[in-house]
Amino acid sequence: MTDATTTPVQLEARHLTRNFSVRTPGRIRNARHIVRAVDDVSLDLIAGQVVAVVGESGSGKSVLARMLARIIKPTSGDLVLQGTTIPIKTKRTLAYASQVQLVLQDPFASMNPVHRMSHNLLRPLRIHGASKADAPGLAEAALRRVSLEPPSRFLESYPHELSGGQLQRVSIARALCIEPKVLLADEPISMLDVSVRLGVLNLLRGLCDDDRLAILYITHDIASARYIADSIIVMYAGQVVEQSRGTSLVDEPTHPYTQLLIASVPDPSDPTRDVPPTGEHTQIAVAQKGCRFNPRCPHVMDRCRIDEPPSFIVGENHTSKCWLYADHEVGVEVALSTRRREGETATT
Amino acid sequence: MTTESKRVEDVVKTEVPPLALPPTTYGPIAATTHVEAAMGERILDVRNFSVDYGWGENAVRAVDDVDLHLDRSKVLGIAGESGSGKSTLVYAITRLLRAPGVIKGGEARFNLGTDDDVEHVIDLVNASERELRSVRWSSISIVLQSALSALNPVVRVGSQFEEVLKAHRKDMSKHQRRARAKELLAMVGLDEDRLDRFPHELSGGQRQRIMIALALTLDPQLVIMDEPTTALDVVTQREIIGELFELRAQFGFAMIFITHDLSLLTELADEIVVMYAGALVERATARELYETPRHPYTLGLLKSFPPMHGERSELSGIPGSPPDLAHLPTGCRFHPRCPYAMERCTNESPPLVEIKGTDRSVACWLQVGDVGVAVPVELSRVSSSGNAPSGSFKEVTP
Repeated sequence: MTDATTTPVQLEARHLTRNFSVRTPGRIRNARHIVRAVDDVSLDLIAGQVVAVVGESGSGKSVLARMLARIIKPTSGDLVLQGTTIPIKTKRTLAYASQVQLVLQDPFASMNPVHRMSHNLLRPLRIHGASKADAPGLAEAALRRVSLEPPSRFLESYPHELSGGQLQRVSIARALCIEPKVLLADEPISMLDVSVRLGVLNLLRGLCDDDRLAILYITHDIASARYIADSIIVMYAGQVVEQSRGTSLVDEPTHPYTQLLIASVPDPSDPTRDVPPTGEHTQIAVAQKGCRFNPRCPHVMDRCRIDEPPSFIVGENHTSKCWLYADHEVGVEVALSTRRREGETATT
Repeated sequence: MTTESKRVEDVVKTEVPPLALPPTTYGPIAATTHVEAAMGERILDVRNFSVDYGWGENAVRAVDDVDLHLDRSKVLGIAGESGSGKSTLVYAITRLLRAPGVIKGGEARFNLGTDDDVEHVIDLVNASERELRSVRWSSISIVLQSALSALNPVVRVGSQFEEVLKAHRKDMSKHQRRARAKELLAMVGLDEDRLDRFPHELSGGQRQRIMIALALTLDPQLVIMDEPTTALDVVTQREIIGELFELRAQFGFAMIFITHDLSLLTELADEIVVMYAGALVERATARELYETPRHPYTLGLLKSFPPMHGERSELSGIPGSPPDLAHLPTGCRFHPRCPYAMERCTNESPPLVEIKGTDRSVACWLQVGDVGVAVPVELSRVSSSGNAPSGSFKEVTP
């Protein structure tokens, strides 16, 4: 906890990029091309804050989470954990894993089905150095943190005996039992029943507020991002296209992709709203010039097909990677300005 | 009982090349028309429908005494969480349900249309396999959630269209079949070169479009959509649903749309039924259901979607989790999670009854008009009148 007050930034990602080499579809054998799954993404995960990453499937958001968890090695870029730069080309260490934990989308697939919850929970504790005598108590405490009462009942049960919502809580407890500082949640609610989703979101928010965890919340559901997050990042084709602190990105979207995304969300309170024309997302190779959204963009200009836009400042702590805002100042990353603000409040 | 062969005309459509209809044989089914009330505009009528999984003592009731009806060219939305029985219900109605699923009772009548003032109605529950084969795909078709597993992975897309046309339109030439497949792809906004692709070469959205095109191949009167867009992102979902409704405007098929996304249903359905743990808990028009929910579960579901506008405030969702169908709670199945549960709810199961003076129904003891039962204001709002002052309760006059 002392770490959290002196260095609020728990995990920094600097210009993370990951390329994948994939076979070119078609008849030519062995023809390969590079897909830039994540392209130059920087973000800060701050104690007591939720950062939401929103994007459609294929936008690179899960690859980003796995790079932050060091399951996938970045092609280039830096990771800084609590002020220490991590050598990205080496294997993940136990020390890193004890600080940064990942919760996956499918709770049924992320638990060993032939073992009781006690096994699933005690194993990480033992690996991370808890003694045999302490481990059960810590596991029970972790289950209480995610509101699974009484913990003894859940420790005794098998994965198939629990509902999706309960299992997802157990997998959050499993991530929390070793007291990490950063929690990476990759679509934690998309497999859950509608009626239990909010419970898990409220749990994450509570962990963030009460225990000063730094949370990365990855989702395709922008409404849930607006509900839970302190800052929101929208990714498209591996790049951050818009980001804002607070909800200004949802309330006043500036990037044409964000506008399209928001207009597409079913919203019975406003059935007459205009939805901009769309086009389907296709995988984008490195070779594409200009803005990656240009083939689908309703406002496309000649410039968009030639030059890639930088991020422009379109509001307070709000940037947009679009040439429509070329008369605005080129932005310092919002993440950095967030950190400054957090630093100021920490010193006062 | 007449056993003579009947030719059934499909509803005449513009735009579609006249397809020679196969001589379809229906057994004694036409006779049922004279016995029971004519269905008229009603295309599907399901009554007291129950489905079990398993037999004997271990049977689990997955669909319990469900009544449904759908008019021609209308859209019926079925909302519910996983395990609520919504998919089981439509699979059972269309007789696609496999063992251990068993239809335990009820009827499902499908109106094939009127020909020479004779209404052709098929009783789907008792129909033979032969009768079902003539109705499936040509009159009722289904779009499944997972397009990747519904399409044959080792057969090119074009051949999958061919197969359907070969089976149901025996007099079409190879050339005609190919032309029809191209036309169908154009209808869902895909290039005709997709016909020569394998399913894995297409994106999720393209595959789902292929599924929709396949479902429309024989110009059905009823299309069932089982979570057709759940696996897609919102932008693609919006696009596909837009196309779907353009096609519906053009061809006039009725639709049953199953999803857990109540806000999506509100935008697209005429009428919505909400299922919980195998039973219908509420039925209303889409607008009514959204603006003036009457069942606490519907209200909870609506409040489970974080809003896109306005101040951020903490939402509660619904406490607890859906019940295990093998161990249903006593009384109302929702009472353990219901914030308004009364003593009566723990003992007696509320029937689905029409609310007085309306054509909507709800299964909740709060809404039966008992004297002395205070209906919470959020469950007794009047349509479009905005919010009544919160915190106050109003008495329902019997």
